[in-house]
Formats: sequence, C-alpha cells, structure tokens
Amino acid sequence: MVRLADLPEHDREHLLGKPMDPLGPTPFVANQRPMGERRLALITTAGLHHRDDDPFRLMDSSYRVIPGDSRGDELVMSHSSVNFDRNGFQDDLNVVFPIDRFRERVDRGQLGSLADQHVSFMGSLLQPAMLEASSRQLAGLLKQDGVDTVFLTPV
Amino acid sequence: MSAIAWFLETEGLQTTGISLVREHTASLKPPRFLWTSFPLGRPLGKPNDAAFQHRVIDAALDLLDRPEGPVLEDFPEDLPDPPDVQAVCPIHFARPQAAPGSWQQRLTVELSLTSPWYELSRQRRGRTTFGVAKAPIEALVARLAHAIDQPPVEPADLAALKYALEDLKTYYQEAITAQPGHPDFRLLQQIVWRQTELGRAMLALYDRFAAHPDARLRGFARGIAPRGESGHDPAQTT
Repeated sequence: MVRLADLPEHDREHLLGKPMDPLGPTPFVANQRPMGERRLALITTAGLHHRDDDPFRLMDSSYRVIPGDSRGDELVMSHSSVNFDRNGFQDDLNVVFPIDRFRERVDRGQLGSLADQHVSFMGSLLQPAMLEASSRQLAGLLKQDGVDTVFLTPV
Repeated sequence: MSAIAWFLETEGLQTTGISLVREHTASLKPPRFLWTSFPLGRPLGKPNDAAFQHRVIDAALDLLDRPEGPVLEDFPEDLPDPPDVQAVCPIHFARPQAAPGSWQQRLTVELSLTSPWYELSRQRRGRTTFGVAKAPIEALVARLAHAIDQPPVEPADLAALKYALEDLKTYYQEAITAQPGHPDFRLLQQIVWRQTELGRAMLALYDRFAAHPDARLRGFARGIAPRGESGHDPAQTT
C-alpha cells in the first residue's frame, strides 16, 4: 500500500510542490449510452510507444499512437522520470496499459468496441496548459474514429 | 493526465480513469477519476492478476454513470504489503573491492553475469521492454563508461545517454526478476543501485554531472538516479 503520506519526504515534497491550479469550471459530458454500445480509447501517460517510434524527450508534450492490435512485446517505455516503479510494466503491460482487459470486455459483450488507435503521452514536468493543443487535436482524431469514451491511466 | 481528461471532455468525449496522486486530481478537478493507493508505476495495482485489474476498471467505469461532477472516488482495496520472506537475487554481483579496473572493464565483467538471466527473463516473459536506445547492450555499457570520463554536452548525445541509462536499468531489472517469486520492486531498486557495478557507475555519473559547471549537465543529473538514491549513503552500499 502506498499513499502520498507514506512516501519518503523527498518524493512527497516533490509531488506536492508541482503547481496544480484548477483549469476552470469542470466540463462534464453526461452518460448517453450503455457500455455495450460504447467505443473506447485508452490513453496512458506512461511514455509508451512502439519499439521503432521516436522515444519521448524531456518536456515532450506530443503523443505517440498505439495501434489497436499492438502486442505487449512491441511496446517500450521512454518516460523521463526515474521516480516510479517499472518492474510492474516489465512483468505485465496491463498493469500500466490494460489493453488485454478491455479486449476481454469486448469479447464478453461488456463493451461495444475498442478504438482503432490508442495513445500515449509522457506525463512528467508538464504544466497542464502545455497539453492543450495536442489534447484538442487528439480529440478530433478520436471522434473521427467514432470514439465516445476515453479511459486514462497514469504511471 | 487530469489536464488531458479535462481538455477531451470539453471536446465532447466522456472520460474516466485512474489517479495515483489524489492531491493533484483534487486540485485540477477533472470530470471523473478513481483514486487508487497503488505505487507510482502500477495504476492497475497487480501485474498478472486479471481479476484484480478488472475490479479496478469496473470501479472507474462506474463513474461514467454519475449525474454530475467533478467525481473523485477512492478505490476501496489496498495492495498487501510485501511478504516478510525476502526473495533472493539470483545473480551474485561482485563486491566493489573485488572488481578493480576501468568502468568499461567492470561493467563488461558484470554484464557476463547478467546476460544469461536476461535471456532467461526474455524466454519466461515472452517479451522484453529493453530497446528504447535502439542499440545493443554492449554499446550502452560503453556509452555509460565513456560519459563518466567525458561527459557529452550536445543535446542529441545527452538524449542518447538518457535512453542508454534507462535501457541498462531495464536489462538489469528484467535479469534480476527472471524467475517467478522475484524480489519486489522496492528491494529490486536497492539491488540495482547498491549492489551492482551498474548502480555504482550511474552514481559516479550523477556525482560528476551534479557538480559540473555546465547547467545542462546539472539538470541532466536529476534524471539519472531516484531521489532516494542520488543522495546515497556510501555506508549502505554492499
């Protein structure tokens, strides 16, 4: 079990020292359809990408596309932070990017479909406003693919 | 990540997901997140436990039905503490005094101990997460050894060094955890940083860069070692 209060002081102070002011009034899309009719995309901020893609650089606010049929042995992680555990990812991609769990949900009829493409950012050192342009561009791409729901995982 | 959710929702997409730092999510006020008490790096909690991962996903997807937001709910399950019985590192790394020579020589000797376990890991897991630097392990060892003596200053060379460090750690971590029932991630970090020539070499690199007059190298130093290791206590080194 890990809570912020349980972290070493240097880690706790580092995390709490990041400015995280509210972005404004919270946008809120009401539920419009059951899970069995939804099309869902995964977004991770773990700095994942295909082995042949360009790795993430420091302060990189761009994203990498992860094709929907990607296998675990095709993905690597180039996140710049050295302050989180990577052995969970080495053991099981799904502990960071639960693509197999969502495929199982589609197979069981618990989810309508998965997007043709998923996405990874590298969530480190970035102020929220630095992510606005790439996030809004990404929203357009996801909607073109018919996506209505996004599931986000940090690292 | 909260910001990405916030922007996507303003574009009409319904979002939900997992938060690992509750204080950040509470402050940014994205539409919906499920906070979990899991360690950084493990948002779904337990590797290779599909049932547990599905419970986390269920709880996050349930938030889509809430009539209004922001919603920040706590996942009710914590991960159990690591077992008292410590798993043993399968690789017998040499003590510092037993391995004289240049960094290149010391790292090369150690690599010969580590490589068989890395290959075993690759076979057992059916994959490797090594490969960010797009270079063979021997070239990455040489890149690290060279950087301690002659720090690079060009941005492209520094980026290549960063990818080399990450791949070297990945290679070692996968080797040390090649067998089921391997050391948990806290012990794994201690082994890499305090028992290996790789850890000693990376701390030597950190010391060199952290004291360097070039501000780019001092900044780079913060991305070499975890905060708990860069101020390492030599007395704890085994």
